[in-house]
Amino acid sequence: MDDWVAELQRGRFDAAWDLFLDRYRRLIFAAIRHYAQDYDDVMDVFARVCEALRADESRRLRSWVEQPEHRARFSTWLVTVVRNLTVDWFRHRDGRQRLSTVAAELPPLRRRIFELLFLNKRSHVESYEQLKSSDGLDLTFGQFLSEVSATYRVVSGGRRGRILRELGGPPPPVADVEDESATVSERREELEAALGILSPDERVAVELYVVEEMPADAVAKVVGWPNAKAVYNHVYRALAAMRTRLEQADLRADL
Amino acid sequence: MSDPQPPQPLDRLRSHFHTGETPVPSPDCLDADTVAALADGTLDAARRAHALGHVATCALCRRAVASVAEALADGPITHEVEIIEGRRRRLRGQLLKVVTPLAAAAALVLLLLPRHDNHPLVSTLRGPLKADTDAPAPIGPRATAARPDRFVWTAVAHAQRYRLRLYDAEGGVLWTDETSDTAAALPKSVKLSPRSRYFWKVEAQTESGRWSGSELVEFGVETSP
Repeated sequence: MDDWVAELQRGRFDAAWDLFLDRYRRLIFAAIRHYAQDYDDVMDVFARVCEALRADESRRLRSWVEQPEHRARFSTWLVTVVRNLTVDWFRHRDGRQRLSTVAAELPPLRRRIFELLFLNKRSHVESYEQLKSSDGLDLTFGQFLSEVSATYRVVSGGRRGRILRELGGPPPPVADVEDESATVSERREELEAALGILSPDERVAVELYVVEEMPADAVAKVVGWPNAKAVYNHVYRALAAMRTRLEQADLRADL
Repeated sequence: MSDPQPPQPLDRLRSHFHTGETPVPSPDCLDADTVAALADGTLDAARRAHALGHVATCALCRRAVASVAEALADGPITHEVEIIEGRRRRLRGQLLKVVTPLAAAAALVLLLLPRHDNHPLVSTLRGPLKADTDAPAPIGPRATAARPDRFVWTAVAHAQRYRLRLYDAEGGVLWTDETSDTAAALPKSVKLSPRSRYFWKVEAQTESGRWSGSELVEFGVETSP
């Protein structure tokens, strides 16, 4: 039994906390740094994580220790808790304002695209028209989409991109005008109907592999399939089934 | 215009999935332990099926699982987890150092005590040990090997399967494998260092279901010139 667990069970919370922190401090920092870039942010989040874990005589830690059986490794549980606390900290501190901070380092055109698409939630066509009419920019729609694509790649990369994704950041760009023919909600309704024909594990695999861009072997672990190859097979079969369902819709070419 | 990269095919599909809506948590959302177990792949089948039923329709929980899985694959986090898990293995190794002499002493006492093989309970529940029961003998690697990527041992008559275990110098199990063959290839995921010593043993399971184990063999990896 770990020494900090033994102290926790004896009710010696201060001693347990010291031992716990001594052992897991570096892992906590590594998990925070996975999401946060700025030194001050990292230190502030660390303070928040410590405060939350130590609250009510280490209630969170005790709740894990007192579980009759542990479904996950403690280190993974800790990374999960730190991730939740980190995301909450960013969300409470600056939410959407954080998105503006990200855009500040972009070149002027991409910053404007970021504002229109990601902050103001304008469609691609609306954003393009706005840039042409109000901002007086002379560029083709194809050039505009290339810039959208480049902007997305810049803001969604690295640690900054990670926290941006956690806060419901930018959608990936679409490549052609046809995609604007249906509203976002119509597109999602069609997809929901198509996803509805899949089993829960297939659906989760499709969303994790396609939307969340998880590696196939990590998806296999989550859904309980033997390996990455099984994920490829299932996902591409599922997409084929969805394609059949969507054969009358504009989305079929992408699936 | 600079940097005109067209979106990848999956980017286009992703854009259809993305609604820009902010998902709202529900009472059914998974707790941290379940999210962690899903990302770790350690949830049992029944619980996993139940959890996936929710994850299939909850963007928040899906994001959480994906986020934790991504974090677990991040180098610095992996490194820290390995250090923590390694420390636990070392503690186990230290425990083995204490327990092993005690176990040896206990075995010696048992050997010196008078035998009661004819006890009615013993003779009913356990068949007498065969005098010719033999154990597999490790052939290689032994001492120092240039590329210890294959473990070979002698066959045992009527053995149904063999179980091989590879240990580090501190008694932590690095790899275990079961096979009906008398050889096993070391998977590429198990990296052996020239600076460390390793131990391995193999056990054979006979028709009666009993396991008979080999001696523990020590070996090292040759340093490349």
